[in-house]
Amino acid sequence: MKCRKMMLGIGVGMCVLLFTSAFSLAIEPGKLLMETVDKGFIVLKNPSLGGVEKTQERRQALWKEISFVFNFEEMSKRALGQHWKKRSSEEKKEFVELFTNILKDAYIGKTDTYNGEKIVLLREKQDSEYAVVQTKFVTKNGTEIAVDYSMLNNGGEWKIYDVVIEGVSMINNYRSQFYNILLKSPYETLVKRMKEKKTEGETATAAK
Amino acid sequence: MRKSIFSSVFFVLVVCMCMCFVLADDPTPTVNQSDETAGDSKGTAPYAVSEDKELKGTHVELKTPAPVEQPIETANKNKGIAETPAVSESKEPEGTKDTNVESNTPAPVEQAVNAVNAEGESKSTSTVYAVNEDVELGDNNLKIEAPSVRDPFQPYNRGVFVFNDKAYYYVIRPVYKGYNKVVPEKARLSVRNFFSNIRMPGRFLNCLFQGKINGAATELARFVINSTLGLGGLFDPAKSLLHLDKQNEDFGQTLAKANMGPGFYIEWPFLGSSNVRDTIGYIGDLAMDPLSILSFIINPLIAGGTSGYNTFNDISVDGGDTYESVTKSAVDPYIALQDAYQQNRIKKIKE
Repeated sequence: MKCRKMMLGIGVGMCVLLFTSAFSLAIEPGKLLMETVDKGFIVLKNPSLGGVEKTQERRQALWKEISFVFNFEEMSKRALGQHWKKRSSEEKKEFVELFTNILKDAYIGKTDTYNGEKIVLLREKQDSEYAVVQTKFVTKNGTEIAVDYSMLNNGGEWKIYDVVIEGVSMINNYRSQFYNILLKSPYETLVKRMKEKKTEGETATAAK
Repeated sequence: MRKSIFSSVFFVLVVCMCMCFVLADDPTPTVNQSDETAGDSKGTAPYAVSEDKELKGTHVELKTPAPVEQPIETANKNKGIAETPAVSESKEPEGTKDTNVESNTPAPVEQAVNAVNAEGESKSTSTVYAVNEDVELGDNNLKIEAPSVRDPFQPYNRGVFVFNDKAYYYVIRPVYKGYNKVVPEKARLSVRNFFSNIRMPGRFLNCLFQGKINGAATELARFVINSTLGLGGLFDPAKSLLHLDKQNEDFGQTLAKANMGPGFYIEWPFLGSSNVRDTIGYIGDLAMDPLSILSFIINPLIAGGTSGYNTFNDISVDGGDTYESVTKSAVDPYIALQDAYQQNRIKKIKE
């Protein structure tokens, strides 16, 4: 009887394997990610959008191509952690907007110095709800940076909720910051500082 | 008996394959199906994930992600913050169900909850990370509510951080930008390779201390290849031709592997982020650094200068960019740097 159970188990195991392979044929987070990355690179390589004077235009075009793959609400929720639930729905909406802007400035800003860097897909791992896509960012001088994308299945659509660079989770990093601010000061202070950050980012881009 | 086993397995396989084709386009029912079967056969599924789904399926109300370590994690949390009713709050920051405690908590109690959380975290830090180690999938995000860095000298550290930041933007950055204009990138990379090759003994010994025989062998092979084919270490053919990666092991990691805790966070002038363990590690690495011998043969100033030049050159290659990208996009740059340092060290220790 025990033996039978075991064999049944193996059978079930094989089925699960089959399911997962069939399942990954349907939607593949890694493929989605790499397609988005390629779309982004097309914008960055576009000669008509090159140069310092086209910075704003290029950033906007790039943002249009890639922003859909991020789940900003999920990111905000995770970055605020236990404080998320205490916020009203308007506050949540405002926070998502502020946080999205910070992330946008941080990551779109980095593409200004694009110079033939590459992104290589290494591995991906997924279950029905979560996926991790491991990639390698290779700079022109050959430096390799490990970048992992954590993705969440939103009703059939995979979206990024965290980016982990050399072991540093972006969301954990912001959560540490938010937590530390909220430990000493009220939520309003955090919002104020995020708004300051936003204007700071705008002046920085305007200065360029 | 035997026949029946095989026939049942065969039957299940056939059925599942059929289902597989039918449901290939619609992932959700597929998954549910596999859950049910996995539930029947009591967790003989090929990998942990499906087992967790079983767990999720049976306890629907516990809708917290991070299935893999859920039970262990909860246990950990309970250890830390046992008899507080607000435990559930920290367990489920996702907010799938609202606890009464939370919805009508007056402000002072909230503060108390925070304090308790912070305490619980710092106590169970090492355990939390130990648990996190094997998990790649799912969500280790919601775990660590409070930052687990111990930073009792934060006012002093923040002062040093401001100093370092100013030193970087007003002195080091302008100087290296100029240096970058004069010295081509290839030359700077060669300088980095050269020093890195000279400092092989430290990495080699730390590999040995950590019992990484393969790592030590790799370092040895790299040293031989790069010193000869790489023209005394100026180039890195071991990596470019043979894909032998540099083993970035230092004494701080060796101490961590020997179960030494990180201690409190320290921001050193010029040297930047560190903690008690990594500071001891730094001194240990200095002892293993061939450049230190220079200070006995010639004089300490030359040795210090050479080592300083090496660090400066590294900043000019990519260290400066890393620092800027961590701090520039931060709401609180000091915490951002501290957290990035801690997360990065944890990854390096794990490797």
